[in-house]
Amino acid sequence: MIPLSWYLILAALLFCIGLYGVLARKNAVAILMSIELMLNAVNINLVAFWRYFTPQTIGGHVFAVIVFVVAAAEVAIGLALIISIYRRRKTVAADEINLMKW
Amino acid sequence: MDFLNSHLLSLILFSPVVAALIVLLLPGENKTLARRVAFVLSLVPLALTLVAWFGFDAAPVVDGFRFQEQTVWYSAINSNYHLGIDGLSLSMVLLTTILTPIAILASFSVDEKVKAYMALFLALETGMLGVFLSLDLLLFFVFWEIGLVPMFFLIDQWGSAKGERELWGGMKVPARRYASFKFMIYTMAGSLGLLLAIQMIGVVSGTFDLISIFQTWPALQGELFGLPVATVKSIAFWAFAIAFAIKVPVWPFHTWLPDAHTEAPTAGSMILAGVLLKLGAYGFLRLVLPLYPEQAQQYAGVLALLATAAIVFGALSAWAQTDFKRLVAYSSVNHMGFVVLGIAAAAYAAGTESATIAMNGAVLQMFNHGISAAAMFFLVGVIYERTHTRDLEKFGGLFPLVPVYGALLILSSMASLGLPGLNGFVSEFLVVRGAWPIFTAYTAISMIGLFFTGAYILKGIAKTLHGPLNEHWKGHISEINRRELLVMAPLVVLMLWLGFWPAWLLNVINQAVVALFG
Amino acid sequence: MPTETLIWLIPLPPLLAFFLILLFTRKNNALSHTVGVAAAAISWLLGMLVFFAAVGVDHFGENPFRSAIAWLPTGDTFLNIGVMIDPLSAAVLFFVAWTVLMIFIYSIGYHNFGAPKGEHDKPGLPPHGAADHGHHVPSIEPMYARFFAFIALFAFGMFTLVVSDNLLTLFVGWEIMGLCSYLLIGFWYGKPSARDAAKKAFLTTRIGDVFMLLGIVALYSATGTLNFHEILRNENILHLLATTDSGVLGLSAAGLIGLLLFIGTVGKSAQWPLHVWLPDAMEGPTPVSAMIHAATMVSAGVYMVLRMFPLLSAGWHHGDPLTTTMTVMAFIGAFTAIFAATIAVTQNDIKRVLAYSTISQLGFMIAALGIGAYVAAAFHLVTHAFFKALLFLGSGSVIHGMEHGVLHTGDHVDPQNMFNMGGLKKKMPITFWTFLIGGLALSGFPLITSGFWSKDEILADAFANGHFTLLAVLSLAALLTAFYTMRQITLTFFGEPRTKAASHASENKLVMTGPLMVLAVFAIIAGWVGIPEHFPGIGGLLPNWFHDFVGSTLLEHPVAPDFSWVPLGISLGVALGGLGLGYLVYRKAGSEDPLRKPLGPLYTLMENKYYFDELYTKIFVQPAGVIAEKFSYWFLDRKVIDGALHWVAQNSIALGTFFRDRFEGPVISGVADWLAHSTAAIGRLLRKVQTGAVQQYLLVVALVAFGGLFYYLFSVLR
Repeated sequence: MIPLSWYLILAALLFCIGLYGVLARKNAVAILMSIELMLNAVNINLVAFWRYFTPQTIGGHVFAVIVFVVAAAEVAIGLALIISIYRRRKTVAADEINLMKW
Repeated sequence: MDFLNSHLLSLILFSPVVAALIVLLLPGENKTLARRVAFVLSLVPLALTLVAWFGFDAAPVVDGFRFQEQTVWYSAINSNYHLGIDGLSLSMVLLTTILTPIAILASFSVDEKVKAYMALFLALETGMLGVFLSLDLLLFFVFWEIGLVPMFFLIDQWGSAKGERELWGGMKVPARRYASFKFMIYTMAGSLGLLLAIQMIGVVSGTFDLISIFQTWPALQGELFGLPVATVKSIAFWAFAIAFAIKVPVWPFHTWLPDAHTEAPTAGSMILAGVLLKLGAYGFLRLVLPLYPEQAQQYAGVLALLATAAIVFGALSAWAQTDFKRLVAYSSVNHMGFVVLGIAAAAYAAGTESATIAMNGAVLQMFNHGISAAAMFFLVGVIYERTHTRDLEKFGGLFPLVPVYGALLILSSMASLGLPGLNGFVSEFLVVRGAWPIFTAYTAISMIGLFFTGAYILKGIAKTLHGPLNEHWKGHISEINRRELLVMAPLVVLMLWLGFWPAWLLNVINQAVVALFG
Repeated sequence: MPTETLIWLIPLPPLLAFFLILLFTRKNNALSHTVGVAAAAISWLLGMLVFFAAVGVDHFGENPFRSAIAWLPTGDTFLNIGVMIDPLSAAVLFFVAWTVLMIFIYSIGYHNFGAPKGEHDKPGLPPHGAADHGHHVPSIEPMYARFFAFIALFAFGMFTLVVSDNLLTLFVGWEIMGLCSYLLIGFWYGKPSARDAAKKAFLTTRIGDVFMLLGIVALYSATGTLNFHEILRNENILHLLATTDSGVLGLSAAGLIGLLLFIGTVGKSAQWPLHVWLPDAMEGPTPVSAMIHAATMVSAGVYMVLRMFPLLSAGWHHGDPLTTTMTVMAFIGAFTAIFAATIAVTQNDIKRVLAYSTISQLGFMIAALGIGAYVAAAFHLVTHAFFKALLFLGSGSVIHGMEHGVLHTGDHVDPQNMFNMGGLKKKMPITFWTFLIGGLALSGFPLITSGFWSKDEILADAFANGHFTLLAVLSLAALLTAFYTMRQITLTFFGEPRTKAASHASENKLVMTGPLMVLAVFAIIAGWVGIPEHFPGIGGLLPNWFHDFVGSTLLEHPVAPDFSWVPLGISLGVALGGLGLGYLVYRKAGSEDPLRKPLGPLYTLMENKYYFDELYTKIFVQPAGVIAEKFSYWFLDRKVIDGALHWVAQNSIALGTFFRDRFEGPVISGVADWLAHSTAAIGRLLRKVQTGAVQQYLLVVALVAFGGLFYYLFSVLR
């Protein structure tokens, strides 16, 4: 059987890729997608821990499903916001959306 | 009828305020209506006072006071809404309620902000009446201060428009502003000590009710706040005395008076001289003498000295004036000096016949001065309205132009001078008689003042009525009109009546004086 | 009606008339003078009824008419006022009632009732005359009605004073007369001289009045009453007052009170040094002068000291050395008598001569009283009132006649200056004869005139009691009196007219000459009631009624001086000598006084009244003005007291400014501002991190999270 650590390492890698994307990408849509990566890295962890430690309950699935729902909602709102920003500012570059500074 | 009898004093006290509100709430800007309503409503307190006057002997006496009313006011500090009158306050209430309608009638010629003026005037009446009616120290003080506010505005807003007063360093302010501030700040400065002393008495006695304080406070012995009671009492005595001395005013606290009187509107001067000054003297009689009999006796000499100075220097300064109104204003210093001399004599020898006579004289002099000073200020106002000047040098020989006015001026002047047969003489005689065996030297010196009283009165008459006619005024001065005659009529009647038969008033005063100090 | 009620009523008609005229009838001249004269007549009638009732009472001194009511409550007691007629006041009432009535009637003529109105006449100025059918004739006084109102009030004052039973109401009448004299002297108030004279009269007498007020209160304090009868006829009180030490100048209480009261008289009766007002009082119309000088005011002063004589002389008995107070009176009286007589010699104004003569004669009375000659003083008071009223009204008649001449001829000379007159004897016979009678009475012409008997009694008293200096002074004064009286008569009536006006002067109507004749009768017969019993020849023909009657006022009946030839000789000598000398000197006088050259500077000195007016102005009036204005007002009030107030105000403001600028600003506001500023500075510093770039924020979050994680791993798991 594949050891748990493999899953964990995969999830960590995926999380790091997502984090890198969030921090480094300029495009807001890309940032949104990177966030999805990070969420899914978490999902992998959730499912992996469920399988190895409490396979007899369905708690892990439930958590994963909740994360899906949240992710879906987040994308819906996030995209709507990005479109709204784009309409106003004709850009979706994150470093140009800096009105909230001093 | 029962309600009337049991709440008579409250009705007297608050009817002017109600009247003031009614005047303020009158619709529109109809000046004549405001004047008439104010005048008619100001007769209400007078009518009520007459009810009190005629029912006075029949009313039951409790602790020396009649028509008492008592309700808890500040229960935490034991201060009550407590009213009551004796002969002393009755005569002063009568003076106030007589003079207010007269003064309102006299101010029919005021043409600016009539409603506000009339309302302030009526409010002022309540303030003054409150002082005379209160039998509670705190209530007394509240009314004492209330009276200041309307007067301040009357001087400041309706005072004479012309004139400037130079202060230090070439700074100049409008004379009426100067006068109103001087009046307000001076009186308030005096009241500070009074307030402190009142609080102290209240704390020590546990109540502000005068009737119980009359019994406990003078008898207090031992120590207070780590000091001997006598020392504390001396300090408190002076706090009271200075507050009242400023109001009277006693020399050398008098210089606010000529300024305030001169700048105030005519009716304001009438009330100021007629009633407000009496508040100070009343304070001496109602509070200082009963509360501090020992201190009063101890310091009576100082008071008598100051009174003599007021008599002499007041007369001299009046004589030196070229401004007619200021001359009359200084005459108040001179006349009130006799009141204080009488009080000082009574304080020194309380219980003797001379003291009773001096006190009778002092109270009667308060009333008489109220009448004659009001008349004098009114007459000065009448001529000022016609000539727009108060400078004596600019008049001269007006008698043929205004014979009736002239006759009234001579009569009032003579009343003010203390001519026997008119009111002023009786009271001055009583004061001098009472003070002579007690303060012989001071009484003798005050005769210098009495002499110069003649000098300044004659100066006033000679410069206005007598001498060659100043042709400038020919055709510009009209005779005193009917409204003005109506103002003078009651004053003249009182002058003659009190001169010929003072007993009607003096009986009431005498009873109170005997009961209080006899 | 009981006599007491009548006495109460005596003063009332004039008072009523005063109010009636002022309030109702002042527009109607005829009605006004009718009211005035009727009031005087009713008072006169009542006065006569009371007088004759009094004469008929035995031992009237002990049982005078008295009645009193409670007036002022004073503690448990009352001050009573009331009326009393005793022998002294009855005598005074007699002459007051007569003279007042005569003066009222005379005034109708003097103020030209019935004459047309002058076109140029103004109230407050003497009438200038009017044109009538081409002639210039006198015009009616513009303030005719008012004059009657004033003299009515004056009469009220005098009657009140006379019928009073106490010092207080006496003082009331006294002061009301003071007011009236002020109003009447200043009757023609449009003239500055009249205005100033009125003021001077009021103020000068007021000096006396304030002292008198002190005397009254001192007496009231000492005895508890002001009633004459209770004080003056009570030996215990008098003795007590005489033996109590007052603590002032070593006087007894009675002496001090007497002296204070006497100063009141000095003012009212124009004694030196308060005499200066009286000559100036001539500015008033002539009937006023008569009122003031003869019938009422100045007599009131002497009446008061007569009234208070038992007090003034308390402790003194006939034959004792004089008390201090009496010595003062004797000195002032005698000095005034001679002093005023010398001035009278040099005056040219016919009324001023009489004014100084009045001062001098009052001095006689005061001096007489000072040596205890009570009855003589009272006697001279009565006779003097009649003949001096006569002289004043006579001089008024002369002036009136002269004014007529002035108007008629257009010769504008001073109608009062005697050097513009002369020869009026033929033009104005009635005036001349009555004036002559008055003048002779004043001079003390022997036997027939009243003045002789009263003046002689004073001299006799001085001689009998050994006051020889006084006798000498008074005799000299009497000599001068006769001299200047004859000077006046000679200049006015004898010789030839010196001006056109004088040659056209004319006699006045009966309404003026009538009172003169009545008074002339009294100027003669008033003396006959007091002829000494032992007078050679006619003594005893008539009883010395006056001495017995008035003398009974006193507790201790005064002793009539024994008859002696010495004072009689002096009397005769000075009267006749003075009259003769006066006639000789002035018989042929031109427009220049023949005495001017021989007397030289002395004449100038006397003519200018010894410069007393100027002296008083310099040493009293002006300094008082300076003290009042410069010291009391500007220095004390404005500079010291207001200065102190302003100092407090200024420093309060300075202190406030100081606190505002040095504490309020830097400290309280400073700390608050510093807090705000530093918060802002920190914010400014920190806001740099607020880049607005979301990714940077997240990086920081990530770094912190990793940092936290590493810290956890290293610290906890190790």
